[in-house]
Amino acid sequence: MAVSLTNVWKTYGEGATAVHALAGVDAEIPAGQFTVILGPSGSGKTTMLNLIGGIDDVTSGDLVVEDVKLTGLAPDDRTAFRRSTVGFVFQFFNLIPTLTAAENVELVANLTMHDGAQRAAEVLDQVGLGDRLDHFPSMLSGGEQQRVAIARALAKSPPVLLCDEPTGELDFETGRLILGLLRQVNRDLGQTVLLVTHNAAIGEMADRILRLRSGEIVEDRHNPEPIDAEELIW
Amino acid sequence: MSPLGHKLLRDIRTQRAQFIAVTVTIFLGVTLFAASYDSYQNLTASYESTFTDFRFANLTMSGGDVEEFAEAARAEEGVESVVVRTVADIPLRVGGLKLLGRVVGMPADTQPAVNRVSVASGAYLATQEPTAVLVEEHMADHFELVPGSSFEILSSRGWQSFTVGGVASSPEYIWPARDRQDLITAPDNFGVAFVTEAQARELAGVTGPTEAVVYYTDGLDNPELSESLLTAAAEAGATMRYTRDEQPSNAALSEDLKGFEELAVFFPAMFLAAAAMATYVMISRLVQAQQPHVGVLLANGFTRRQVLRHYLGYGIVPGLMGALPGALAGVVLARVITGFYTEMLSVPTTLIQFYPATLVGGVLFGLVTSLIAAAAPARRAARLAPAEAMRGSAPTGGGHPSLPERLIPPLRRLPIRWRMALRGIERNPRRSLFTVLGVMLSLMLVLVSWGMLDTIVRLMDRQFIEIQREDATVYFTAPVGTADVQGLQLVEGIAAAESVLHLPVVLTADGRYETTLVTLDSGTVLHQFFDEDGTRRSLPDDGLLVGRALRDLVGVAEGDPVQVAIGGIAVEARIAGFIDEPLGSLAYAARGYAEKVLGSTLPATAALIAYDPGVEVQEVRATLVELEAVAAFEDAKAMYDTMQRFMVFFYVFVGVMLVFGGAMAFALIFSAMSVNIAERTREVATLLAVGTERRQISRMITAENMAVALVGIPLGLGVGYLAAKEAMASFNSDLFTFDLYIRPSTLVVSALAILVVALLSQWPGLRALGRLDIARIVKDRSL
Repeated sequence: MAVSLTNVWKTYGEGATAVHALAGVDAEIPAGQFTVILGPSGSGKTTMLNLIGGIDDVTSGDLVVEDVKLTGLAPDDRTAFRRSTVGFVFQFFNLIPTLTAAENVELVANLTMHDGAQRAAEVLDQVGLGDRLDHFPSMLSGGEQQRVAIARALAKSPPVLLCDEPTGELDFETGRLILGLLRQVNRDLGQTVLLVTHNAAIGEMADRILRLRSGEIVEDRHNPEPIDAEELIW
Repeated sequence: MSPLGHKLLRDIRTQRAQFIAVTVTIFLGVTLFAASYDSYQNLTASYESTFTDFRFANLTMSGGDVEEFAEAARAEEGVESVVVRTVADIPLRVGGLKLLGRVVGMPADTQPAVNRVSVASGAYLATQEPTAVLVEEHMADHFELVPGSSFEILSSRGWQSFTVGGVASSPEYIWPARDRQDLITAPDNFGVAFVTEAQARELAGVTGPTEAVVYYTDGLDNPELSESLLTAAAEAGATMRYTRDEQPSNAALSEDLKGFEELAVFFPAMFLAAAAMATYVMISRLVQAQQPHVGVLLANGFTRRQVLRHYLGYGIVPGLMGALPGALAGVVLARVITGFYTEMLSVPTTLIQFYPATLVGGVLFGLVTSLIAAAAPARRAARLAPAEAMRGSAPTGGGHPSLPERLIPPLRRLPIRWRMALRGIERNPRRSLFTVLGVMLSLMLVLVSWGMLDTIVRLMDRQFIEIQREDATVYFTAPVGTADVQGLQLVEGIAAAESVLHLPVVLTADGRYETTLVTLDSGTVLHQFFDEDGTRRSLPDDGLLVGRALRDLVGVAEGDPVQVAIGGIAVEARIAGFIDEPLGSLAYAARGYAEKVLGSTLPATAALIAYDPGVEVQEVRATLVELEAVAAFEDAKAMYDTMQRFMVFFYVFVGVMLVFGGAMAFALIFSAMSVNIAERTREVATLLAVGTERRQISRMITAENMAVALVGIPLGLGVGYLAAKEAMASFNSDLFTFDLYIRPSTLVVSALAILVVALLSQWPGLRALGRLDIARIVKDRSL
């Protein structure tokens, strides 16, 4: 299994003010699966993604990602885990404005390899930005910025790609392009993709849909015939 | 309190470290202002009060027909009192130690109408106590003389013993200067005794008064009257005449007051400028981060004026919190400084007053500074378009290769973290500019203070080691021939002795200047001369060397003729060159040239002495003072040591300024760098999320911050040097020449110190990286 959650709880606060962001979640996500996590605001979907990505700690339960048990992992080991195992794509792109597209990717690629510059060029080419290497974020459209963010996430070749509302800042057409790109990456490179969104329509392109409500999985549905991203309508 | 008030206070609490830094800077600036300005006012008031209480002369003249001048002065409108008296420089002997002395004649039983004294212990001069005299406080303190102690004064009948009837302080000797050309005297070398007028005349061997002192109505300054009386004094043949401002002690004190005045403006201005920049940086960031909040406020009906007021509040709170206690602390500190100062100088009257204007002014300065700093970001907030502000935008910012990369393309191949550092400078130009300015201001503060110390150390070395190369000067009881001076070399332990003649002269060309003509052996090795460019030169045989201040004061150039009046004789001499001497503006002539101009053989009134190496100095001194012909002994080292003792105050001053400068640098750089780090929170969180180690990120941020700080270093060194030069030049006069000298090591250490402060100031921000909530930040739209 790429990701395994067993009775995972995430609680903020204590006593009467305690809020259970995740309340005993169990899920097994095999390698190479494209999973969409759906749910309204506050349902715990981003929390779940953050726990899987190792940028937040579970309160209780077992969480294993690519054979690494994240529960109780030391901070340095958690950093090493993030470096080797997961790639993030955020809603707001989170690019460094003073670095070009290539440099943004290279910065992350350098974490795991010597020739980060070449790797950056490769992955930017992969996401269709081979001709935008020297453009700064302010010179790119929102979709292009998100593609740079995807390239950055891919640069380390992580087995798990975590995407948090990757289309939230994009218009419909650009959103579909980005989703198509993510699906393509998933198919071509075999990476496990977990995509968080509140947009139920996006679930139609996934292999599997997990629906959360109040910190619990209320629906776990496999999609035998996922449609292409360009066919999505919302 | 209104909800906005709560928001204001909670925002301040959230960013308390930055607000505290700004508040502390304002506090320091206002404290410095209030302390130095009130000290200046207190000291000025103390001096003024002393001058009035003791009827300090508005004008003094000596030499020539004193009685005639006094008669003329009494007839002038605006003159309240004129006193004639006898003042003579006569050697003193205290416990076998001979020193230069001055005897001042006073009426017995009653204080004079001008230049009264304050009797600190014992009793004033009395007719029935003819051998009891008053001793000036500095001399009494140094030699531990108390009423009942005895000492000797050299009269025409030899050494005469006197009893100390009292210890007195005088407005003429608050700073115990011997004359305008000899402001720095060691208590070991110079003392003043107040005796009855009859005794003074007897001791001086004169039959009439030698000096007239004039007190104007209510002691008030009257430039027109001074002008008239100075003319009258010149007509009466005065060899020396000066106004109250020019009086040696008062002139020296004025330099001190000038220092306080400068402190009251220059240093607080720097602190408040730093506080303003830090406030601006902090509130600008706040407004940027709170744009959506401002949008919501405006959308819900808050007026732009309300928003403006709200954000001005972020300036008003630290402004008031820094300025109010700062002004109070300054006022209290001023009382301590004034008390300490007047006690150290034995100022007869100490006036410590409360000046409400200083308190109000201090608070206003602090408040206005922070208001001005808050105005621009507050106005920006008030002018936001609500819809746009609420919508916000993912912060992408601009991006382009840095200027160095554009100028030197190979720099584009630097490792990414270095490119990030270079581009960080241009990322937020205004903030980078303020960080650079902060570094500049801090360096300026440090260099002005440290430069002052270096300059004084250098000038003391120049004066007492390089120029005055003698180990001691002996003064003779009566003029002697040069052969007698040569005879001193027979005394064991003396390697060399050179003849010196000191003559009070008036130099006249376009201007007029009273000074001392010092004649020396033409090949003198015990007194060195330096041109204005610092090169050594010898004493010429065909003209005078004069202090460079005389170029303007007398209105002469090299090669020009100048009239030299000595007593009643006036001769013409030639200016052979100008010299650079830190203390005084003397005229020097080779003995041969002076004899040629004056047409007679000149004696020596003193001798410069150099000891054999390793000699026991006290033994040589004891042998010399035993000689009948020797009237007084002036130890060059004592002068130097006296200066070194005063240096302690400078060290303390510079130490305090370094601490203040460090605090200011810390506050300012901390504010800028905290904002710098805060603005990168999302980037940092993203980098952490993808597995970058915290220390790698710390290094990247440090490199970026240090790159900005480094830009400020050379600018700060340059501006600091110029500011220090300007500050020192403001103390220049005919009495002191302060050419700035800053040791290279001072520049290096100052720059390193500021860099260390910059490094330390980002530490709290870097520490905060460890507490970042990565999960929240990468999702937060407002960051």
